[in-house]
Amino acid sequence: MSNALSIDELSVSYGPIPALKNVSIEVPNGGFVSVLGANGAGKTTLVRTISGVLYLQKGKRTSGSIKFGGEDISKLKSRSIVRGGIAHVPEGRMLFPHLTVDENLRCGAASRRDTSGISETLSEVFDLFPQLPPLQHQQAGLLSGGEQQMVAVGRALMAKPSLLICDELSLGLAPLIVRDLFLLLDRINQEGVAVLAIEQNARIALRHSKYAYALEVGEVVLEGPSAELRENQEVQDLYMGGGGDIREAYTAIRREVNR
Amino acid sequence: MEILASTFFDFGINVQLVVGGLALGAIYAVVALGFVLVEKSTAVLNLAVGEFLMLGSYFGVAFFMERQTNFFVGTIVITAVMALFGLVIHYGIMRPMVGQGFFAIVLATIGIATVIRAVVQMRFGPLEKGNLTALPTGTIEVAGTNIRWVDIIVLLVVAASVAGFLAFYSLTRTGLHMRAVASNIEAAAGVGIDPDRAYALTWAMAIGIAGLGGVMLGHFTPSVNPALAAIGLRAFPAAAIGGFTSVGGSIIGGLIVGVIEQLAGGHLGTKWREPVAFGILFLVLIFKPTGLFGQKDLERV
Repeated sequence: MSNALSIDELSVSYGPIPALKNVSIEVPNGGFVSVLGANGAGKTTLVRTISGVLYLQKGKRTSGSIKFGGEDISKLKSRSIVRGGIAHVPEGRMLFPHLTVDENLRCGAASRRDTSGISETLSEVFDLFPQLPPLQHQQAGLLSGGEQQMVAVGRALMAKPSLLICDELSLGLAPLIVRDLFLLLDRINQEGVAVLAIEQNARIALRHSKYAYALEVGEVVLEGPSAELRENQEVQDLYMGGGGDIREAYTAIRREVNR
Repeated sequence: MEILASTFFDFGINVQLVVGGLALGAIYAVVALGFVLVEKSTAVLNLAVGEFLMLGSYFGVAFFMERQTNFFVGTIVITAVMALFGLVIHYGIMRPMVGQGFFAIVLATIGIATVIRAVVQMRFGPLEKGNLTALPTGTIEVAGTNIRWVDIIVLLVVAASVAGFLAFYSLTRTGLHMRAVASNIEAAAGVGIDPDRAYALTWAMAIGIAGLGGVMLGHFTPSVNPALAAIGLRAFPAAAIGGFTSVGGSIIGGLIVGVIEQLAGGHLGTKWREPVAFGILFLVLIFKPTGLFGQKDLERV
């Protein structure tokens, strides 16, 4: 069975304010795709929409479809979406700060019923993050930023997803920690889990993903194989702090949008 | 005010007051527990806590006075019925109101309180009923002091139910999911926990345990009357000691308020009970707004 994610012409708005406009994104089975964009580009809205928690922010899908493994998931509740194989690491980690690391991880398996399978996944997560077992009984809110991000990734993996969505994994973390986290994403990806990384940090996202989209003010303005985008002058200027005139590059992209 | 020096240092009297205070405090504790649980999980400030308590006491009248039901059977049935009432409140009122402003929902709880009062008056009349007597009324001598059986049994029943609740809340998978929803609803929904189900359970437990408190209160007070709802206000000083966020802290807060109040009433005269109880509320709010057991913000960037 194919577990490809296929978003077609998706539009979302919060009340009268549009957040996504006709966004189309494909994540192939087992692929590694990144979505780049600055603040306010609609990245987090995209994650919320895919994972079915948009209603909590009073957002609404106004058109378009989201298919996973050929099945329309755009009307499903978050619980069914997670059970169907899509787990996400929310922006800002969103751990349960007063719960222990162990409890946080166990919450990640909320959609599962197989008790023995859950324990098995828990030990796999501990294998993946050897820093975590000694911290098992600590309150998650007391961990360092990097450790918290590991718990957040681990919590998502507890659902045994076939697609892992990471929203701003790099946010507020030291470059070395970010690098390690992305190396881990590679490892998870190699084990057959598709990864969709939503990132402001284009440099690292383009290095690890195979295909990428750039989102500007709710619209996809650029897409292509990550290796190609890495060489693209506009992308370098806009997202990678490259040498060119940022204003000029931005105008170029706006022109592209308006076209 | 005059301090009665003859009783102030009397060991026996103080023991009686403390035990009575713990029993009274146990009732405050369950009310505060229900209040904090709902506030923390669903962000609803439930101002009808007192009425739920009173309703529990009147259910006691219906079961123990009018039907002579066995104490344990009656208490379990009343708690269950009140828990069902909690579900009705969630599905009938709170869920349809999701997304409405904070004050709209607070006003809704005041509306619930008014309805409960009206229904109680219709069913039981405006006159007060005697106190509940399903428990043995005598005393037992412990180390030279007479302790009321009622105090002991109330304490034990509350302790057992609170322990049961805490075990469920902190040890089971469903309890974990309830705590996760209380901690961060978006994250909880994101991992596949159904927030709606957690809210429903929270309401059922909070109202169920308030009903249990009402049954205990009915045995404790001289009479069952609509004014018992005012006892529910004691949930606020108790919850304040717990910082309004700590479930365990609200239980300890209830016990503290009960004991201090009973000591003040015994030594200074009963008119001092309320001023002392709410004096605690002010002191805590002014000098330690996070409460003695309040959770510190653990968010770290």
